[in-house]
Formats: sequence, structure tokens, C-alpha cells
Amino acid sequence: MEGFEGEPIAAALHAAGIRVLRESPVLGRPRGFFCAVGNCSSCLMVVDGVPNVRVCVEKLRAGMRVERQKGKGELKWPQSPC
Amino acid sequence: MAPKSLLTPPVMVIGAGPAGMSAALAAADCGAEVLLCDSFSEPGGQLVKQTHKFFGSRQQFAGVRGIEIARLLGDKVASHPRIHLLLDTHVLGYYPDGMVTMESAADGVARYLKARPRRLVVCSGAAEKPLAFPGNDLPGVYGAGAVQTLMNLHGVKPGRRALMVGAGNIGLIISYQLRQAKVEVAAVVEAASAIGGYAVHASKIRRLGIPIHTSHTVKRAHGTRELEGVTVWRLDGQGRGIPGTEMRFEVDVLCLAVGLSPAAELLWLAGCRMLYVPELGGHVPWHDEVQQTSVPGIFVAGDAAGVEEASSAMVTGRMAGLAAAASLDLGADFRVKLEEARLELASLRAGPAGEKIRRGLERLNLGVPASGARGPVSSTRAQASGGGS
Repeated sequence: MEGFEGEPIAAALHAAGIRVLRESPVLGRPRGFFCAVGNCSSCLMVVDGVPNVRVCVEKLRAGMRVERQKGKGELKWPQSPC
Repeated sequence: MAPKSLLTPPVMVIGAGPAGMSAALAAADCGAEVLLCDSFSEPGGQLVKQTHKFFGSRQQFAGVRGIEIARLLGDKVASHPRIHLLLDTHVLGYYPDGMVTMESAADGVARYLKARPRRLVVCSGAAEKPLAFPGNDLPGVYGAGAVQTLMNLHGVKPGRRALMVGAGNIGLIISYQLRQAKVEVAAVVEAASAIGGYAVHASKIRRLGIPIHTSHTVKRAHGTRELEGVTVWRLDGQGRGIPGTEMRFEVDVLCLAVGLSPAAELLWLAGCRMLYVPELGGHVPWHDEVQQTSVPGIFVAGDAAGVEEASSAMVTGRMAGLAAAASLDLGADFRVKLEEARLELASLRAGPAGEKIRRGLERLNLGVPASGARGPVSSTRAQASGGGS
């Protein structure tokens, strides 16, 4: 999939017609983005294996792996230090 | 640039939108060193997506587009010798000893930073309010500002056909911008019995043939995986939907422009006295005439202090920056500049358009904290304790 480097991941996905970004933890309802400025946490996805990334503000880079998040996501340890 | 792990600026401003940039410039022009941080990669806050021209007076850039104001203020901030601009920096917390913690990717790598400023000016803006109805979590239901961000900042259309909820200025302006982006706008619905925005914006919408349904709201959104349609209905005098008045719109975008509430989490955290003032968007920090909160040394400006608009945000920001610098004993007299700001604010809030804000501020003033309350500058000088220094 293609997008512009540096634009938010959500913008690239949206331009490609993908609006369902995750499924809610309890009822599995589809969720898209709501605020687009990193406030609301509606747009959490798994990016390069890291869950709960706000894709409305996370910038797109070549080779990124972006996955639809189901529920709360799973942390894989050990994580890179941050 | 690799900042030290503990920063000790005389003045720290959180948020580089219209209020924060104005606060930083005012304080720095008075001789204070200022740390200005923002979570985004460029300064401007929400101005960067505002392609419409501003009203107000010349001091607040009347006739200039928001996006150009962002550039003008951003250039001034970036080139000011006493402003240290830290972008890509999220403020994480505020501690009782006056410590502000941050995660900063300003130099490319994420790093944990701490700052203990003598004065703190919080200009964290506002967040869009949601609206409760079945299906409001479907992809395709957006805050109106999100649609503006998507279209005007990133050049992506939100969908093919939209319904706008809210006939305030934001709803009207974004409806127009949707049409500019060649997205069909089915209608604007507004729960109040009258259009809240300026007549000039409403007229533009109507000339395009977009109906504005007042006394209407959303009954439910339809769709399984994504938004496919919206049913609205008419409201009676008590705000209840009237059965039999339903209208269904086949749309893939629903924009909610039903107001903003102050993003004042940091001020809650800092123990600032908060008051519920619906006219100002919800819970707002009590503040005095020069924008100081109930915690000495912590100032608030822009929408975080009560939702208004960008023109007054620039002035409350300037006021807060001036007052923060004034309380540092820099040896200058700030009374003239503060009085100028006070008069500009009064003029921006004058007339029928400012009625709601004036009512809200009046309500805020009635909630003056019993202890620790203070007048303007004269007494702010004496407050070097508490949240500051």
C-alpha cells in the first residue's frame, strides 16, 4: 500500500479507502478515527508490532507494518527501551 | 539539539497554538527566557487547518487566513532569541514540586525530559465534544475538526456525502470547506431553534443549496462496519425527539460540530480549582483577570481557559505571558501592555456574539476561590511560592 512519507498513517489508510482501524475490546465493534489530533484514542492500531499506536498522529514511513487492532492489543516483551 | 534532562526555564508555555505562541512572544519580549513545547511537529495548533479568513480587529489578524497566522506567529517564535521551541514533545505530567515531565522526540529519538519552570502557562486548547446516539462509534462519524484536518492538512477527502451536526461557526465553515473539496453536503442539522454561527457563513451554505434544519438532532446512525446513513428527527421544546418527524440521509460521513470542551487535564492534575461553566465548554479552571489560576504561578490561556475562538486566544495568551513575566520581577512596567490586552479582549467579547462568553466569565468569577484568590499584577508579584519557582 502506498502513501506519502510523513503524513499520518490514518490519512494514508483513509485515502486508500480503509476506515475501520480497530475492533473494540468488549463488543468487537468497528472503530475509525474521531478527532484526528491524538486526543481521543479511537484510532489505535498495531504498528510494527506495537499495539495502541494513535495512527492519526503517527507518521507514515516506508516499510511500516500496520495491523488492525483487536481489543486491547498485546504487548510483546522485551520491548525496545523508550 | 539535545536538551539537558532537567530544564529550568523562567517561563514554560505548554501548547504552541495561537494562545501559546502569543504567550511565549509576550513573555519573551518582556525579557523572560521561555520554553515553548508542543506535541506536534510544527507550531500553530489548530490554526494550521483553518483556511478561512479571520474576523475581529487588525491586532488579531482580521482578513488573514488561519493557516497564514500560524506561519506568521510560528516564524516569530522560531526566530526569537529568548524562545526555546521544543516540538514533537508530549507533556506527560505535573508534580506537586512544580515538575513538568515530557516525552520528547525533538531531536529524533524519544527521550524523557523534566522541567521545573518558575512560571507555567498552560495553553493546551480544547477537545471536540461527542454526541450520544446509537451508532455514534461507527467509522465515518467524525468530529468536525477531524474532517477539517483530514481535508485541509492532509488533502484526503473524508468520504462522498456528508451530514453536518451543528450550525455554529465551525459546522458552517466546515460544511463550506467540504463543498470546496467536492464532498456533497446533504444538510446541516442544529438542535437549537436558531443558527448559532455568523449570518455570513450561514448565507454561504444556503446559497449552495444546503438546507439547515434547526430544532433537529441525530436519532441514530446506520451501518454495520461503516457509516451508511443517518436518521435525524425534530426536537420539541424540551429537547425530546418527536416520533413521526424522522428524515433519513444516505451519507458515509457524519460530522459532529457540537462544541468543544477545554483540554484542561494538566490543570486538574496541578490541583487548580475547576468550575463547571457550560457557557465556556464545561469544566474550566478558575482564573483571574490576568489568566492566573488558583495555583500561584500557573496561568492558563486560550480554549483551555474556556472555549472562545482563536482571536481571543491570542489576546488571553498575550495577557498570560505578560502576567507571567510581570511576576518574575524583570524590572519592567507591564501595566500599559496589560491594559491594552484587557481593552482588546473587552472589544472582542462585546456585542451579541460575545454574550455567552460574558455570561460564562461572570459565572466563573462568582466561583472565586475562598482562599488564595488575588487581584491582577500587583499581587501576582508576591507569589513566588506554590506551583511556580
